[in-house]
Amino acid sequence: MSDGATAGFLSTVPLLEGRNESDIADLARVLRRRTVPAGETLWHQGQEARELLLIVEGAVAASLHAPGGQVVEIGRAGPGEMVGEIALLDGGGHTMSVQATEQATVLALGKADFAALLARQDPATFSLKRRLAALFTARHREQLRHLAGSLGGDEADLAGEDAARTFAELDYCGPPDSRYLRRMATFHDFDPAALWGFLTSGRYARCPPGRTLLAEGAPSTACYLTINGAVEKVLIRRDGRIRVGLAGPGKAFGYEPLIDGLPSPVTAITRERSLLLVLPRGPFEQLFHREDAISRVFLDVIQRDLVATLRQSLRPHARLAASV
Amino acid sequence: MCRILAYLGEPLPAQNLLFDTDNSLVRQSYSPRMMNTFLNLAGFGMKAWDPASLRPEDPFSYRATTLPSFDRNLGFLSSKLAPTCLVAHVRGVTYSDEAVVADTNLHPFQFAGARVALTHNGHLRQFPRMRYTLVEHVRPELAQRIEGTTDSEWIYALVMSQLDDPYGVPETRELADATAQALRILRSVRAANGIDTSSPVNLCLSTGRALVATRFSFDYGWYPPEDEMLETDLPFVSLWYAIGGEYAQHNGGWQMTAGDPPRSVIIASEPLTIDHSSWLEVPEYSMLTAELTPSGLEFETRDLDV
Repeated sequence: MSDGATAGFLSTVPLLEGRNESDIADLARVLRRRTVPAGETLWHQGQEARELLLIVEGAVAASLHAPGGQVVEIGRAGPGEMVGEIALLDGGGHTMSVQATEQATVLALGKADFAALLARQDPATFSLKRRLAALFTARHREQLRHLAGSLGGDEADLAGEDAARTFAELDYCGPPDSRYLRRMATFHDFDPAALWGFLTSGRYARCPPGRTLLAEGAPSTACYLTINGAVEKVLIRRDGRIRVGLAGPGKAFGYEPLIDGLPSPVTAITRERSLLLVLPRGPFEQLFHREDAISRVFLDVIQRDLVATLRQSLRPHARLAASV
Repeated sequence: MCRILAYLGEPLPAQNLLFDTDNSLVRQSYSPRMMNTFLNLAGFGMKAWDPASLRPEDPFSYRATTLPSFDRNLGFLSSKLAPTCLVAHVRGVTYSDEAVVADTNLHPFQFAGARVALTHNGHLRQFPRMRYTLVEHVRPELAQRIEGTTDSEWIYALVMSQLDDPYGVPETRELADATAQALRILRSVRAANGIDTSSPVNLCLSTGRALVATRFSFDYGWYPPEDEMLETDLPFVSLWYAIGGEYAQHNGGWQMTAGDPPRSVIIASEPLTIDHSSWLEVPEYSMLTAELTPSGLEFETRDLDV
């Protein structure tokens, strides 16, 4: 595959839509093409990540290895799709093993080149981050569908309960101590002025434990960031309940419906009394779609959260597979 | 912050758990992978139950304020022990004028004559403020046995005070209920003293035939802005487990083999191997119980709503 052919393929990849020809040509030069025979393992779960792969032809399957030798296929990727980026973004090992299910042609993007691609501050990079957020949201929903399927039964009817009232009834309050905010790991890497801009984009609210903030299947009216306390993200069915994540300090929730317009994929209930930064739809959309320093902070917070959420959602998968 | 390890199952050389794996307990003592700040090491302790030993109901006990990575005696002993149950603890303390590094502060705690041992990873913030209210909930004969200065030993005395017979071998269910009840008392005593900051309480208790472990925190996510432990406590304090047939070397790496029904379980602050694929994270706010029975290992996870 020549650089020209690679560039031609890249221009059809939805994730890279909006990149100009020169950007695409630069990217084509750093990608390495490989042909992978059917059955070859591209990497093992837990292995250190050195690259992500764009699938040009063929297909790969991502599988989770659980204790006791259980292996669960979590998803497949085909032409135009990407695998391996989660571990590059958070620096952890690969979340799942990836194997070619048929002969595949792939383009490999190294860790440093991926980091460079995301470090730019041009409109195409903002667009890439928004597309990554949409892609991760779709994957998260897919993972949750798998989990909900294992619970069986119908969704518990929470949509009409607390969640609808909660937003209007939140106990709004002043911002927390800035000395505390500065020490939160979520914000360490951010420019102080831009961070302050983000932290003052919404309102702060106190919430007692046991309050339903979002109901699965219902529309979301706001994105929340936990400042203090903890919020459980759960799937509730008549026959059981699975906790799919815990949003402690610095972790966000409720943003998926604001990104893709679909209903909330989980129910969110405060486990501890909590102090939350509440970003209603209007401010959320402004931050998500603007292209300035504050939006950059915001998109990075959302991206980190989605990456952590995708990892966290694999925990109940592994427990179910191991049946312990 | 501390690191804890518990094992129950087939006889297993203690050396495999403490030293041999690429993230063994002793390696975690100087190079933890799941903590944001470094450890200030204040010693090591373990209890190991071996059915082939004299008085098998009594564990081997070892405690030393030296660093486990440089403790040759620990290395020698662990290569000769193959217990069916082991509870071990690396003690970390934050630097302070008030910190006491002493043998009496080392875990696991086990009062003379008692059959239950306890280790704790975490800390009760502002413990001196609640200590004297706690006395009301601890049996006087047990309170008198407290030798050290730690919150952990008080938690031990409090759990033991909830048992019908603090010197008998409790059923696993009774030990689990006593642990949950102790946490409820701690919550009420904290409230009575106006203490509402994050205090992790990852516990591991053992009778030699059973384990009870918690991954829990009071008021998780609430910290004084100048708190020196803030960066350490922001993530929920970690706890993992591996369950299956036996812990063994396989294809050059250590892992729990498949076992149905399971025969062995390891519970640890961090997986003992860098490869986590044979480990499961203990859900936050939960309790694990494991018991050796003639038909295998009975294991249960439940939400800890206290």
